Amino acid sequence: MKVKLEADMVLDEISKALDNIEFQEALRRASTNNQVKVAQLLTEKPELIELAKEVGSLKRRSVESLRELVEKAVESLRKIAAKPYYAETVEEARKLIGDIVGSGKRVVMAKSMAATEIGLRQYLESLNNEVWETDLGEFLIQLEGSKPMHAIAPAVHMTRERASTLVAEKLKVGIPKGGVEDIVSTVRMFLRDKIVTADVGVSGANALAADTGAIVLVENESNIRLVTSAPPTHIAIVPIDKIVPTLIEAFKVAIVQATYAGLYPPTYINIIAGPSSTADIEQIRVYGAQGPRELHVILLDNGRMKASKDPVLKEQLYCIRCGRCQFECPVWIHTANTWGGPTYGGPMGIVWTAITLDPIEAGKLAYLCLGCGRCDEACPVNINISMELRHLKMLVVQASKRG
Amino acid sequence: MLDPLQIVRVVEENMKAHGLPFPAPREALYSWAKPLKMPDRGSPMLYTGGLYQITPYIMSVVDSLSKFEDLKLISVALKASRLLSTLGLSGLVVRPRADTVSYVENILRSIVELLRKAGVNVAYGYEDDLYSGVLLYDLGLDELFKEHAVKVYKALKSREAKTIITVDPHTTHIMRSVYPKYVEGYDLEVKSYLEVLAEAGLKTEQQNGGDVVIHDPCLYARFEGVIGQPRFLLQKSGFKVLEPRRSGRMTYCCGGPIEGLAPKMAKTIAKTRLSELSEKHGVIVTLCPICYANLKSVSDDKVKVEDIALLLGGREL
Repeated sequence: MKVKLEADMVLDEISKALDNIEFQEALRRASTNNQVKVAQLLTEKPELIELAKEVGSLKRRSVESLRELVEKAVESLRKIAAKPYYAETVEEARKLIGDIVGSGKRVVMAKSMAATEIGLRQYLESLNNEVWETDLGEFLIQLEGSKPMHAIAPAVHMTRERASTLVAEKLKVGIPKGGVEDIVSTVRMFLRDKIVTADVGVSGANALAADTGAIVLVENESNIRLVTSAPPTHIAIVPIDKIVPTLIEAFKVAIVQATYAGLYPPTYINIIAGPSSTADIEQIRVYGAQGPRELHVILLDNGRMKASKDPVLKEQLYCIRCGRCQFECPVWIHTANTWGGPTYGGPMGIVWTAITLDPIEAGKLAYLCLGCGRCDEACPVNINISMELRHLKMLVVQASKRG
Repeated sequence: MLDPLQIVRVVEENMKAHGLPFPAPREALYSWAKPLKMPDRGSPMLYTGGLYQITPYIMSVVDSLSKFEDLKLISVALKASRLLSTLGLSGLVVRPRADTVSYVENILRSIVELLRKAGVNVAYGYEDDLYSGVLLYDLGLDELFKEHAVKVYKALKSREAKTIITVDPHTTHIMRSVYPKYVEGYDLEVKSYLEVLAEAGLKTEQQNGGDVVIHDPCLYARFEGVIGQPRFLLQKSGFKVLEPRRSGRMTYCCGGPIEGLAPKMAKTIAKTRLSELSEKHGVIVTLCPICYANLKSVSDDKVKVEDIALLLGGREL
């Protein structure tokens, strides 16, 4: 189950995607809708552009003191009765989570790119657990057996027709073809029972505040609320680049991420600072009131600390995963994340793949970059993405000279 | 889809052999200039960097590559690289179409005439109008690029250039924003001819040029701040400039930069852009030879793609 990347195979997938009319149509609809929506939003609320600049600068400060922030976060998490762990590699992260979950359990997952990065669903299944994605897009990906095609909208490549056929076939239910509402209610009913009876809920994080250990999660579906509160155990996987100094700053990151994803105001912003507890009886603190009794926080490194020391690649750590660069990229809107590694794709995703998996194979994919700079222009936190991609090409050339 | 390292090697070999990224004769870069009798040293100096002149050769190479892709002979990169290493891509016969050669040469002549009319008499380096090395930089061949950039800089200095006037966005960007990072002591002032013409105030005879829709090249619009000048010049020459949905700083790429690696994808992107442009009007004005070549290659009879220098010079074909 090793997560790996071979540029040649990716190129083959891209060729197929270019020939797939339905895939192309779904992406055309989604990217046009998204471009128009975000442009409108930013015209109406220019203060959000200012907020994005602020987030850009706070992320830069955070990356400069990443190690200290990690230490502080660990300390803060302990203070709020959460259990922090530092996972340097994919294998370590899986092992830590596998030990917490065990086997024969029911696990529900709220959409997390970090979980995909460590291949968590497949790993937990290999330990004989029953695992369900609860974000609708991610659930469709699970049914399809494919990979997320966008950071925020994983099933962006599916038309409503494809989605309804898939759900009807896999869940063995009757759904009118193309009925979006029918898909949503069918999946809601199917997942509701899984969530309520799950032993473990797994989430990612949009940001983690080092000063308090609070995790901030933004969403519209409310699946994150359910997954992080219904099961008795909550595991949050937090890539270390998501750590910022304060809770207020973490909140700002979530707002900006939602804005540039075209979802403003977001329906829900969750702040989770410790396991659920009550002191209603004699002021004695008891954990596991209505929410989880245990909160485990996996701080995922997987190449990020090293990247924070690299003068070029460290820029990627400012990324808030809004996926704006993807929707604006002339290449990505024809390939989605087929142009990318197993987890991340498109402009920012090639660089994330380089950091978390393999700089040379990712660098080969960078050759499909036009260098047109639309991603740089679109990025809310002003990352020079096209420059990073060119840098990766240079690494490929250098590696080929070394043989 | 091609193995990127295959293209990298082809470009590297060609550069080392004759200073150009694809097999093309050296004279192709400067033979157009002879009838214009520009002084061969001094400043400001016209520096083309060769991109317009090699465009017909690039188009020819891309044509050959597209054939492989169309025939599904290279459905995967690995297969492609095996196929091409037996054939030897650098051994491909590159014969440009005569009409595209004369088209780009007309553009260059028009640029010199426009500058003269605006009172700017340029010198020209002829044999020292070397390729700028844009592609080396874009492909990540940094070491070779640096070596080449130093050579280009020395050649320009030997011709007494202080200010160079560039003719396309790629060369403008590389000379103005990239060379200073690679060439020690770099002191050339770099201006695009569109900036020079806009500053000098274009003398115009044309009164009613009609409507044109403008396609901003990425590097001018996003990296070099050349957005207002082409609009000003076209309007002054009697054209009404229409804006496509995506223009200026948010302009949309023509797909050109990956035409050699992924011809099918490049064409798909070009088609997307062409339909967006032609929605507004049937005459599209380009400011870059790569944009011209790509949009032209996917256009039909209903659409006219024209270089700005020909429109401004009143010598469109």
